[in-house]
Amino acid sequence: MSLPPSAPDPALPPGDAPAPIPARQSPALRGALRAAFGLAAFTAAFTALMAFTHEITRERIRAAVAEQQMRLIDEILPRAHYDNALLADMIDADGGSGGAVGRIWRARRGGEPVALVFETFASDGYGGRIELIAALDIRGEGQSQVRGVRVSAHRETPGLGDYIDPAKDRDKEHPWIAQFSGVDAGLPIARWAVRKDGGDFDYRTGATVSARAVTRALGHGLAWVNARKDALFAAPAGARPGADGQTVEPVSQ
Amino acid sequence: MTSPHIRQPASVQRVMLTVLLALAPGIAAYVWQIGAGILVNLAIATAAALAAEALVLKLRARPVTPAVTDGSAVVTAWLMVLAFPSIVPWWLTVLGVLFAIVAAKHLYGGIGQNPFNPAMAAYCAMIVAYPALMSQWPAAGHGDFAAQLQLILGGSREVDAVTGATALDTLRTGLRNHADVHTILATGAFGFIGGRGWEWIAAGYLAGGLFLIATRSIDWRLPLGFIAGMGGTACLFWLAAPERFASPLFHLASGGAMLASFFIVTDPVTAASTPRGKLIFAAGAGIIAWFVRVFGAYPEGIAFAVLLMNICVPLIDHKTQPAAFGQRTRP
Amino acid sequence: MNLQRLKESARNGLWRQNPGLAQILGLCPILAISTSMVNAVSLGIATVLAMALSNLAVAGLRRWIAYEIRIPVFILIIAALVTVLDLAFNAFLHSLYLVLGIFIPLITTNCIVLARAEAYAAKNSVLDSTLDGIMMGLGLVWVLALLGALRELIGGGTLFSGIDMIFPGLAPLNVLGGDYPGFLLILLPPGAFFTLGILIAGYNAINARRAARQAAATSPPASASAP
Repeated sequence: MSLPPSAPDPALPPGDAPAPIPARQSPALRGALRAAFGLAAFTAAFTALMAFTHEITRERIRAAVAEQQMRLIDEILPRAHYDNALLADMIDADGGSGGAVGRIWRARRGGEPVALVFETFASDGYGGRIELIAALDIRGEGQSQVRGVRVSAHRETPGLGDYIDPAKDRDKEHPWIAQFSGVDAGLPIARWAVRKDGGDFDYRTGATVSARAVTRALGHGLAWVNARKDALFAAPAGARPGADGQTVEPVSQ
Repeated sequence: MTSPHIRQPASVQRVMLTVLLALAPGIAAYVWQIGAGILVNLAIATAAALAAEALVLKLRARPVTPAVTDGSAVVTAWLMVLAFPSIVPWWLTVLGVLFAIVAAKHLYGGIGQNPFNPAMAAYCAMIVAYPALMSQWPAAGHGDFAAQLQLILGGSREVDAVTGATALDTLRTGLRNHADVHTILATGAFGFIGGRGWEWIAAGYLAGGLFLIATRSIDWRLPLGFIAGMGGTACLFWLAAPERFASPLFHLASGGAMLASFFIVTDPVTAASTPRGKLIFAAGAGIIAWFVRVFGAYPEGIAFAVLLMNICVPLIDHKTQPAAFGQRTRP
Repeated sequence: MNLQRLKESARNGLWRQNPGLAQILGLCPILAISTSMVNAVSLGIATVLAMALSNLAVAGLRRWIAYEIRIPVFILIIAALVTVLDLAFNAFLHSLYLVLGIFIPLITTNCIVLARAEAYAAKNSVLDSTLDGIMMGLGLVWVLALLGALRELIGGGTLFSGIDMIFPGLAPLNVLGGDYPGFLLILLPPGAFFTLGILIAGYNAINARRAARQAAATSPPASASAP
């Protein structure tokens, strides 16, 4: 790209310098070039500063993100219960379950299955999608129980439907979400509903929709996970369980 | 009915008394169908409104007696209580009245100066602040006064026995569960055209409203505009998809539609003042109310709609000002 | 350091040209993040750091910044420093970083930062400019602290909620007790406008009263008796 000397472009992009410089420069062109070089120099210097900071904070940020992810899981499954690296022992059931369940983390102690932590989703909240994370205690046949449930993301109306999040629940002693802890994993799907709809679970007057959405989503997610728990534990880490849930295919990288 | 002689402009006090009188059939129907709890909150609100009005006027160093006795504070308080669920705790009523009188009315300069309808401003503030309490509506046929009184005065909120989902709420929840309007309306919460019991109250407001029009206390354009706006919008959607949208009659008989048509949008201070402007203002409120009701996050949309149209009043008045004789309209 | 200069700088930043109450600049973070005192003060401190560093950098480098390109260079400096702050928050105060979210990067677009770089740091010494940045930032901090405290107290009855994000082990104060029903409106965006409006009204009232007293003190006694 060459510039005619009579028409210097003051908006010369900093990256394009140096352009072929004619023998005789007009003062305007010289000014523009100096500005361009100046800007390029500042850009380089401050980009270096940002790159440097990025480099020295990278490990720390990665650790902080993982720690944050563990905070919700810690609330529903204490670390004392398992001894494997939980976040690494993950499979992704999002495709295989048709969206009923998201990622699944397998908790083991001494290699034996202890619990499954899984994501599940309700699309019919009052404010749209509600994301949940739940832990299923694995015990003998027919004795598995829900260990705990938390809402990880929601847009329910403040003060009305947001009691599904225990941080927003005004009843700190008996948060609404706590009623799911200890529920038998074999509970028929028809009873995974609020009392108003003939199910087993409480809701708060005036805001049934949020409770109904969470309860139903949990029921469906739990049913999918509970029916396939052996296969889910057997799958290699990082796998995507197949659509039928029984054949668990490792993901081809 | 039309009188040929020139009328004296009615005093504020006279207009306000007429409005209170016109509310009587609606309140009577309320007591009959829902229970007498509403009277307790009306009394609390009246006392709080008069006290707040007197206090603010004193602080502003204005004469207290004429403004307190003109009845406007009482009208605001009554309209607010009628828009609230009748079993809200007493402190919520007091807080609402304080917001209406102090913030919505006097911070803007007192009677005649406030751009927003005080009762509706209080409703919006309270439903945003206390959405759970403001969504617990008493059900028809459970007119147990002792239980209602307990809810208003006591601290306990064991509400399941006396509350029920409103017609609008039941419809909305049903639609969310992919039921069609016809099936939903066949359930027990509904009467002839609106919510069971509530339709009688709506009829009471309608009767009072017609009385106000007959005595020329309000301009017929305002209720007509609101009813046409809400009913017309509802009608369009209902004709297009009757299984997904309720009929215009249902919408007009539910929630606060009748109260709003004859008592809220007709507030002379906050409504538009030109004849054409009144129609536009009220119709706009009706249309927006329907949309908030059907698609919004809160159970009733009239208050939000009225406030939105209140902001537009200066613009509406400006654009609909009839040109004086001989004056050419400016470009 | 000239004490007079310091006083002048402090008076400007903290009161007379207060960014939140007088210049009313940078409202977006003020309104969005002031739901609790800890959030508000944290963002305020991030702003102080951004302003002090950017004023320092601009004043230090002004000799080499050509006049025509000063605005892009200022923006570049501010954006780079805010990015550094953002990364630091992300790494060392991660839960706070998640709460403040987009509002740390948005400090870049806060006009008060560029305004001080252009109006002050480009013309003054490094020390004076840094001081100006700190004082302007502190002016924002106390307004944010008051706003956050009021909204948190009225809205939920607590103070210092979220303090454990900065000092693990400290607990928030439950000032109004567990039975306080809260006032959600004040915690939602409209409440931010209401509260800031009331603060600005108070600020103007204090200034008006001061001006009246000053006028009364300087004018002849005959007019001083008038209300």
